[in-house]
Amino acid sequence: MNQSVVQLRGITKTYHIGRDITVNALRAVDLDVGAGEFVAIMGPSGSGKSTLMNVLGCLDVADGGTYLLAGENVGKLSDDKLAGIRNKHVGFVFQTYNLLSRLNAIENVELPLIYGGDRHARRQRALAALEQVGLGDRIHHRPSELSGGQQQRVAIARALLNDPSMILADEPTGNLDSRSSAEILAIFQRLNEAGKTVVMVTHEPDVAAHCKRIVRMRDGLVARDELVPHPRRAEDEIAAGIGAAE
Amino acid sequence: MKLYDSFRSALQSLVVNKLRSALTMLGVIIGVAAVIAMVSVGNGASASVQATILNLGSNLVTVQPQFGNDQGLKGAGAQAQNLTLDDMRSIQNQLGDGIAAAEAEQGTGRWQVTAAGQNWNTQVTGVTEDYPIVRDWKLDSGEFFTTSDLNVNAQVAILGTTTAQNLFGDADAVGQTIQLRQVFGGDRGGGRARILNFRVVGVLTTKGSTFGFSRDDQIVVPLTTAQHVLTGRLNIVNSIVIKATSSDTMDATTSDVNNILLQRHNISDPASADFTVTNQNDTLAALSSVTGTFTLLLGAIGGISLLVGGIGIMNIMLVSVNERTREIGIRKAVGARRGDILTQFLIEAVALTGLGGVLGILLGWAITEVVHRIPQAASLPLLITSGTVIIAVGVSVAIGVVFGLYPAMRAARLHPIEALRYE
Ligand SMILES: Nc1ncnc2c1ncn2[C@@H]1O[C@H](COP(=O)(O)OP(=O)(O)OP(=O)(O)O)[C@@H](O)[C@H]1O
Ligand SMILES: [Mg+2]
Repeated sequence: MNQSVVQLRGITKTYHIGRDITVNALRAVDLDVGAGEFVAIMGPSGSGKSTLMNVLGCLDVADGGTYLLAGENVGKLSDDKLAGIRNKHVGFVFQTYNLLSRLNAIENVELPLIYGGDRHARRQRALAALEQVGLGDRIHHRPSELSGGQQQRVAIARALLNDPSMILADEPTGNLDSRSSAEILAIFQRLNEAGKTVVMVTHEPDVAAHCKRIVRMRDGLVARDELVPHPRRAEDEIAAGIGAAE
Repeated sequence: MKLYDSFRSALQSLVVNKLRSALTMLGVIIGVAAVIAMVSVGNGASASVQATILNLGSNLVTVQPQFGNDQGLKGAGAQAQNLTLDDMRSIQNQLGDGIAAAEAEQGTGRWQVTAAGQNWNTQVTGVTEDYPIVRDWKLDSGEFFTTSDLNVNAQVAILGTTTAQNLFGDADAVGQTIQLRQVFGGDRGGGRARILNFRVVGVLTTKGSTFGFSRDDQIVVPLTTAQHVLTGRLNIVNSIVIKATSSDTMDATTSDVNNILLQRHNISDPASADFTVTNQNDTLAALSSVTGTFTLLLGAIGGISLLVGGIGIMNIMLVSVNERTREIGIRKAVGARRGDILTQFLIEAVALTGLGGVLGILLGWAITEVVHRIPQAASLPLLITSGTVIIAVGVSVAIGVVFGLYPAMRAARLHPIEALRYE
C-alpha cells in the first residue's frame, strides 16, 4: 500500500425519514484505500455499503468526518466542483448499468467527455475503451440490443473514459449470471493489474475472493478489514469453462 | 459542455417524441401565426386609412361652418355669418405665395343626368378654379374651368371617369352636352321640371374610392354656377380648402387662416368662432392613434394565444423533466454540472419555440395571403413588416426561455442519487 487514494476519517451519514425517524447509515467510518488496491466491500443488506460508495464517488456528501480524495478534501466542495471530480477522478459502475437507452454503445461511452476533457479524440477514445472491454464490434448497438453482461461492460468502458484515479462498482455482478460475472471480474482484474484502483461492493463471497482485500461492514461501521492471501483469477476460470460464482 | 452537444441532445430528445414535440410546437405556431396575421391586418388597415385620407389631397387645411347647439350659427351676441367665396378669395389674397392653393366648395345634391340617350344619377358639386391643384387631381382630357367661367356662371362641367363612362361609353365626352334634372323637389316650380344644359369641358383622372364611396362618380361645376343656377343659395359655401406649401407649414397656415376669418367675421373671442379650421395632420394623427390601438388590440389577441402556447411548453417540459429524471441522474453521475443540465433543457424549450416561431411566421404569412384573396379584403394592404417578424421570433424564443427556465431549473437542481433512484 503506497500513497493513499482515499482517506476517510469518522465519516457519518444520517437519513431522516419523515419527522422523527432517523437512520444512521454511516456512523464513523475510517478507511484508507491505496493506489493500485482492489477492495471488496461486503456486509449484510442495509449495513451502509451503497451509502459509503456514493460518498466515495462524490455522488453524495457525508454529514460529518473528513474525506480526502487523492489528498484533496472534498467534503466542502460545491455541487459543480463535485461534478468535476465525478467526471475526471471517479468512474462509477452501477448494479443496474444506468445507460441512456436512447444512445448507442459508443455514444453512451462518450458521455463523460461531453462534460469535460478534450472533445477532439472523443470517438477514438470511446472506441478504445469499448475494445478494452471486448465490445469493439458492438459500438452501434443500443442498450436494449445488448445482454446484461454486455451492457455492464459498456458501463465499465464509460467509467474508464476519463482515465479516473479509481473505479467504484456497486454490486456490478448482482444482476449477472456466473459467466458474465467472470468476464466483468476479469476486466476489473486486468485494469487493476494495469494499476487502476478498484473498489467493489458485493454480496457474494465467490466474487469477493477475486479481490486483494475485503472490508466487511455492519451497522454503518467497518467491522473487519482483511487481505486475501491468494485472489482467484477470473481469466483462468473462464479458460477452464467455469463461472466465477460456481 | 459544448453548445454543439447541448443542441445535439436537445434535438435528439425532440425527435424521439416527434408527435409530442409537434403538438407542443403547434401552440407556439398558432400563437405566432395569430400575432403575424392580426398585426398585418391592423397595419394594413391603418395604411389603408392613411392612404384614403391623403387621397383627398395632401397638406390640406379645411374650413367649415361651426353650427351651434340650437341649429343656429354659433357666435354669442354677434351675428353669425356663413362662409363665403369672398372669405376664400381674401385668404388667397392675404396669404399669396404662403400657400400652394385654395378653393371653396358647395354641394348641390344628386341630379338626374342625361346625355346621348343615356341616363345617370350622380352628385354635383360647385368648386373653384384651383380644385385640381388642391386635390392633387389632374384631368384625363379637356381643361379645367377658369375664373372667367366663374365670373359668368358658365354652365360647364367636369366629369368623373365613372360618370363619363356611363354617359358616353368610350367616346370622348369633352365638348358634349349633358342635361341636369333635379332628383328631389325637381318639380317644385308648379310641376314643370327644370332641365339645364351643361357643356362638358374636361374629364378627371381615376381616383378610386374613399371610405367606400367612389370619387370617380361625380360632376364638378363652377361654384358660382352651382350657387346661381343649381341651388339658389347664393352667398354660402360648405367648405374652404387650403393647400399648404408643405407639411411643415400646415400649422402656420392653420393659424393664419383662423386669424383672417376671425377678423373678417368680426369675432374677438376665438372660442365663439362661427367656423372650424381642421388640419389634415391632426386628422391623420388622430386616425393613426385609433388604428394603432386597433393594431395593438389585434396583436394582444394573438399574444394571448402565444401565451397559451408558452404554458403548453412549460407543461410539456415539466413532464419531460419528470420522465427523464434517471437520465438526468446518469448525466450528473458522469460529471454534468447544473449549468449543463440547465442549458440542455433550456435549449430544448427554445428549439421548440424557435422552430415554432419560424413555422408560425410562415403560417401567418400564408394566412395573410389567403385573406388577401378574399375580394372584400383585397383593397386592404396586408403588411408583414420585418419588425413584426423580428418581434414574433424574439418573443417566441423569449417564451422558450421564460417557460423553459423553471422546468430546466428543476432538472438542474436534482440530486444525483435521488435522480438515479427515481423509478
Ligand atoms: N435515501 C435514503 N433515505 C432514507 N434512508 C436511506 C436512504 N438510502 C439508504 N437509506 C438507509 O440507509 C441504510 C443503509 O443503506 P444502503 O443502501 O447503504 O445499504 P446497503 O448496504 O447498500 O444495502 P444493500 O446490500 O441491500 O444494497 C439502510 O438502512 C437504508 O434504509
Ligand atoms: Mg446497496
